[in-house]
Amino acid sequence: MLNIKSLGGNNMTIIKKLALVVVSLSLVAVSSVSSAKPFSPKKPIELIIPAGQGGGADEIARLVQGVIEKNDYASKPVIPINKKGGSGGEAMTYVKKKAGDEHTLIITLNNVLTTPVNQPELGIDFFNDFTPLARLITDTFLVWIATEGKNTAGINTFDEFIDLARGNGLVMGGTGSMSEDELLLGMMRGQFGFDAKYVPYDGGGAVAKGLVGGESDFTLNNPSEQMGFYQSGDSKALVMMTPERNPAFPEVPSSYELGYPDLEYYMMRAFMAPAGVDAEVVSYYTGLLHTVYWDDEFQTFNIDDGKLMSWLEGYGLKDFLAIEYAKHGEIIKNFN
Amino acid sequence: METFALLLQGMVTSFEPLNLGLLIFGCLIGLFVGAMPGLGSVNGVAILIPITFIVPPTAAIIFLAAVYYGAMYGGAISSVMLGIPGASTAVATVFDGRPLAVKGEAMTALTAAAVGSFVGGTVSVILFTLFAPPLAEVALRFNAPETFALMVMAFATFVGLGGDDIPKTIFSILIGLVLSTIGLDLITGKPRLIFFNIPGFLHGINFLVLAIGIYGIGEMLWTLEETKGRVQMSKLSVNMKEVGRAFSALKKTFMAMNIGSFLGFFVGILPAAGATPASLMSYGITKQLSRNSKEFGTGVPAGVVAPECANNSASTGSMLPMLTLGIPGSPTTAILLGGMILWGLTPGPLLFTQQPEFVWGLIGSLYIANFFTLVLNIALIPAFLMVLRIPFAILAPVIFVLCVTGGYAPTQSLHDVWLMLLFGFGGYMLRKLDYPVAPAVLSIVLGPLAEKAMRQSLILSDGSMGIFFDFGSKPIAAVIMYIAIVLLIMPAFGPIYRKIFKKA
Repeated sequence: MLNIKSLGGNNMTIIKKLALVVVSLSLVAVSSVSSAKPFSPKKPIELIIPAGQGGGADEIARLVQGVIEKNDYASKPVIPINKKGGSGGEAMTYVKKKAGDEHTLIITLNNVLTTPVNQPELGIDFFNDFTPLARLITDTFLVWIATEGKNTAGINTFDEFIDLARGNGLVMGGTGSMSEDELLLGMMRGQFGFDAKYVPYDGGGAVAKGLVGGESDFTLNNPSEQMGFYQSGDSKALVMMTPERNPAFPEVPSSYELGYPDLEYYMMRAFMAPAGVDAEVVSYYTGLLHTVYWDDEFQTFNIDDGKLMSWLEGYGLKDFLAIEYAKHGEIIKNFN
Repeated sequence: METFALLLQGMVTSFEPLNLGLLIFGCLIGLFVGAMPGLGSVNGVAILIPITFIVPPTAAIIFLAAVYYGAMYGGAISSVMLGIPGASTAVATVFDGRPLAVKGEAMTALTAAAVGSFVGGTVSVILFTLFAPPLAEVALRFNAPETFALMVMAFATFVGLGGDDIPKTIFSILIGLVLSTIGLDLITGKPRLIFFNIPGFLHGINFLVLAIGIYGIGEMLWTLEETKGRVQMSKLSVNMKEVGRAFSALKKTFMAMNIGSFLGFFVGILPAAGATPASLMSYGITKQLSRNSKEFGTGVPAGVVAPECANNSASTGSMLPMLTLGIPGSPTTAILLGGMILWGLTPGPLLFTQQPEFVWGLIGSLYIANFFTLVLNIALIPAFLMVLRIPFAILAPVIFVLCVTGGYAPTQSLHDVWLMLLFGFGGYMLRKLDYPVAPAVLSIVLGPLAEKAMRQSLILSDGSMGIFFDFGSKPIAAVIMYIAIVLLIMPAFGPIYRKIFKKA
């Protein structure tokens, strides 16, 4: 017994010593792993844009690229690639296929919430095929008409517009079948009892041009998509679908002011990576986006452009996405 | 007069040392980017955008515009010398540029390309200078029905493109159209014709994949069979006599220059079209209207001038909606537009009044860039011609490698490389069976544009085709549509016309 005890005591000390060595070794190992091998991109980063050139998502993507390049925030260049096909379906299929790829990002429109539901044949699982990184901006929607629109001449308020739209089949230009603006049209149809003929274009820039060119009567564009024509006086906004007025459009009333609080809708500008990327990769890109977010130029540009700065990451972002996904599922169900 | 003063001011701006240096540098990079298959002006400009953040916006746009421009010239080089379109904008240049080179007249082809580009670029920048604001208005009025009418006109000219065998030509057009519908439906976003559920088909058939396959690989196979790999492509010498001959050949291309310049510019200012459709349409229409239209495709200088003139003209034209409306007229201008926004400019109707120095600096630089690229190009012709002295047995593997990288580069998917090889073999077989392949290439470019415009129009008209023929509400569309119909039936009346003409 004694022997054993003493043996045990000896063993204990040996084990303790060993444990100490192991712990300190592993500490060294851990610290060397975390200090010597944080993720950094090894080749150019592809930034996939699920929309055409000149639209809202495209603009933000290129702004983010520019801010990163200008300030050398990343060691490798960011290359924006437009994959506009099929209301974002093409882009999402691409990113899904890139699972585990550490050099691919996608900027979102809300079509990431709708296209997987509308096109089940693509086999996209919103919750498992992407890794959300951060939301930078929420974009708002306005009802736009041309200042010299042939059918909308003399319309100055949203209520006048509703009356006109109820009586006449107006034409609405939009960014693609079942995209945000068509869903919004669906919401408005339910609330105000008017319908419109929906004509899809290539991206928000073309939608804006179609309005001023007289092909459509109204659009539900983002602020930036109509900014050039708004400043030149070729188009005007009747209502902004937010609780408050926006400083970039001081004379445009909010939907709450007009007594339509249900008419509230946002477009999220978030970034996601493909599924199956490591935590270090996620924290690298989230950090990169955070740096971009607080860049002076980025802030000024977006605020001037009428956007809402709304950083969100981690669990907050996941909850937000889950809520929005459910909300859009509901809108789509009512739409069909 | 005010315009003239502003333009002079703009030219002076582009002669500032920094701007001039960047301009020449940009032209050179553009030439290279354009000449490399798979790398086009889009990639070139996208890659170079970050560099522009260290210089003032005016210098930046001058640099990038020079790259854009240089690429339009450069694309012709590999089209002529290797038979591989260097960029999508230079596909039509292969049609006659390659046969000319094979005949030993590469000098003529390259000179025609350079001079054609110069003329197209200059005419369009003059049009731009004089008529920018009213033309922006035209671009605004040009909507879906008008676009569709224009596409029908383009297709009508293709029927005459394949030579005398009209059924074979129509067959070729239809193949191109079917290939162009692969991918996701443009309006509803539903997948179409996804063969064997291969995901690569979801992004559709990239036009360059087809063009590089048919022209690069197909041509390589064909030439290998013809020459058994022994003979070198052509004998040539560079001396003053050759140069003189090359320039005198241009006398006959006056009509091609006119069509290319004006049509190119016009197509260029239409949003979403750009230089590739412009060059193809210009080729088609020039051929249709030419006296010796049968010789097109066998190596006539006009067949090189028409597309080269048009692609430069269109690239200038596509800057018009970019500057005045904030809408890109081509994929490359979409990237330039992104750059302008980042430089702190708001493209749109107010840009001309708010940023005159920027706008006129750009316009002024286009005149200068045109001139320098012409000089560079002519000066470099002897260097380009060296390629032809390489025996084809050595050249063929080089072409093959360029084709594979060119097929891979635009979408970075191996799927497209396999497709390209398949098209190469298919193109070779079609050629052996004497089917024209150019119409297939043309329709894969214009097919999606036409389909989208038609479906948008029909949504607007509740399904009535009348929207394309209504002089009251859509006069532009109707006029173009009727011209298209005339162009379509013209070849049918050709023999009758000729009989009457001969008798008289």
